[in-house]
Amino acid sequence: MPASMFRSPIRAAAAATLAACLGGCATQPTTDNAVYDPLEPVNRGVFAVNEAVDKAVIKPVAQGYVFVVPDPVRDSVQSFIRNLLSPLTIANNLLQGDFDGAVQATGRFMTNTILGAGGIADVATQAGNGYVAEDFGQTLAVWGVGDGPYIVLPLLGPSNLRDTTGYVVDTVGDPVRIWGVSNDHEEWLYARTGASGVDRRSRLLDEVDDLRRNSIDMYATVRSLYAQQRAAAIRDQSGTSPQPDFPEYTTDAAKK
Amino acid sequence: MLTRRSFIACAALLALGSWVVPPAFAQSGDKSAVAFIQTLGNETIATFADKSLSRQQAVTRFKSLLNKGFDVPYIGRWVLGRYWNQASPQEQQEYQRLFEQLVVETYANRFVDYAGETFKITGSAPAGENDSMVATQVVRTNGPPINVEWRVRSRDSSHKIIDVVVEGVSMGVTQRSEFASVIQSNGGRVAGLIDALRQRVGKG
Repeated sequence: MPASMFRSPIRAAAAATLAACLGGCATQPTTDNAVYDPLEPVNRGVFAVNEAVDKAVIKPVAQGYVFVVPDPVRDSVQSFIRNLLSPLTIANNLLQGDFDGAVQATGRFMTNTILGAGGIADVATQAGNGYVAEDFGQTLAVWGVGDGPYIVLPLLGPSNLRDTTGYVVDTVGDPVRIWGVSNDHEEWLYARTGASGVDRRSRLLDEVDDLRRNSIDMYATVRSLYAQQRAAAIRDQSGTSPQPDFPEYTTDAAKK
Repeated sequence: MLTRRSFIACAALLALGSWVVPPAFAQSGDKSAVAFIQTLGNETIATFADKSLSRQQAVTRFKSLLNKGFDVPYIGRWVLGRYWNQASPQEQQEYQRLFEQLVVETYANRFVDYAGETFKITGSAPAGENDSMVATQVVRTNGPPINVEWRVRSRDSSHKIIDVVVEGVSMGVTQRSEFASVIQSNGGRVAGLIDALRQRVGKG
C-alpha cells in the first residue's frame, strides 16, 4: 500500500477536523441542554426521508432477518463483523492513549480469532472481556475536538461534524477495506456493510418502535439521545457523567 | 505499517494520555439511598412477576409504585426547565397532570410485560448537594445487561428518584430537550406543548 494513497484523505480529514474544532469549540449553547443544530431544517428533512426509508425497506428487512435467522447465527454474524473491526478498535484505543483498552481489545481479537473460529464465536465476552466500541470520532473527542454541528446523514442517521469526520477516517484506515480494495473484492465490503447495517437495525426493533410510539418530537429525542450516548462512549464509563443541575424548588413553586 | 515516526507519535500520545486520569466512580454514596433502591426494586419485581393480575390492575399498581418511588411533580417541573416560569398556574397544573399520564403510558407497559429481568446494585456515589447516584445493572434474559443509574433525592428521611440514567443517557435530559423543541416550534408557547401532550396522551 503506497503511502501516497493515504495522504490526501488524511489531509482532507485534518482540514475537516479543524473545521469541526472551530465549529464545535467556538459555539457552545447550553440552554435546555441543547445540541448545537444550525442545520436543523435540512436535518429534519433528511431525518424524515430516513424514517420513510426505514419503515418501507430497512425495518422489514431487519424483521425478516430476525424471523428467518436463528439467534445463535445472528450473534455469530455480529461477533464476526465486530472482530473484523478489531484492528480499528485497537488503533483508536492507542490513539486515545487508552493503553488498557488497547490491551483488552487485542486480547479480544486474538481470543476470538483463534478460539472463536475466526470471530464467529465471542469467546472473549464469555470470559469477561466484553466488546467496547471505539472509533475515530471518539478519538478526536479525546483529543479535545468539540462535537461540531449536529448532522443527520442519509441512511446512516444521527451524527455530527466530528463523528462524520471520524467515520471517514475509520473507513479509509480500515485494514479490511484496504485489503478488499487492493484485491478487487469490493463486493465483500458491500456485503459486510449490508450485513452490519441489518444486524444493527435488527437489535433496535423494539427500541425504535417505542421511540416512534412515545415521542412527541422524535427528531429532538433522537438528537438528544445521540449526543448523550456519544458523550457516554467517549467517557468509556470511566467517569461519572457530567450531571445537569437539579435545584430544589421551594414549595410555592408556582410563583418562582 | 508502523513506521518509526508513527511509533514515536503513539508513544508520545500514550505518555500524554497517562496524565489525563479520569475521576474514579469509587466514592460511596448514602447507604439509605441504596437500601431504598433495593427495596423498591424488589417490590417492583414481586408486583409484576405476579402474572395473575389483570392488565388494568397491573397498571394501577404501576401508578402507585411510580408515585412511591419517584418525585413525579419534581421531574415534571425539572423537565419543563425555564419554560415553567412562563406558564400560567393553570397551565402548570394541566401540564403536570398530562406529564404524569405520559410517564405512565410510556413506561407502564415495560413493567407490565415483565419478563424475568433482575437487577443488582453495583455502586453509589454522592451527586449534587443532597442526592445520591445509585448504580445498578439490569440483567435481562436475552441480550446484554443494561447499566442504569438512579438519582435519589433525600429529604428528611424520605427518598425519591428524580432522574434515571440508562447507559449514560438521562431520561430527564432527553425529555427536557424534546419538550423544549416542541415549545420552540410552537413559537415559545407552553400551550403548544400542552396541546401536543393532550393529543399524545389521548391516543393511549
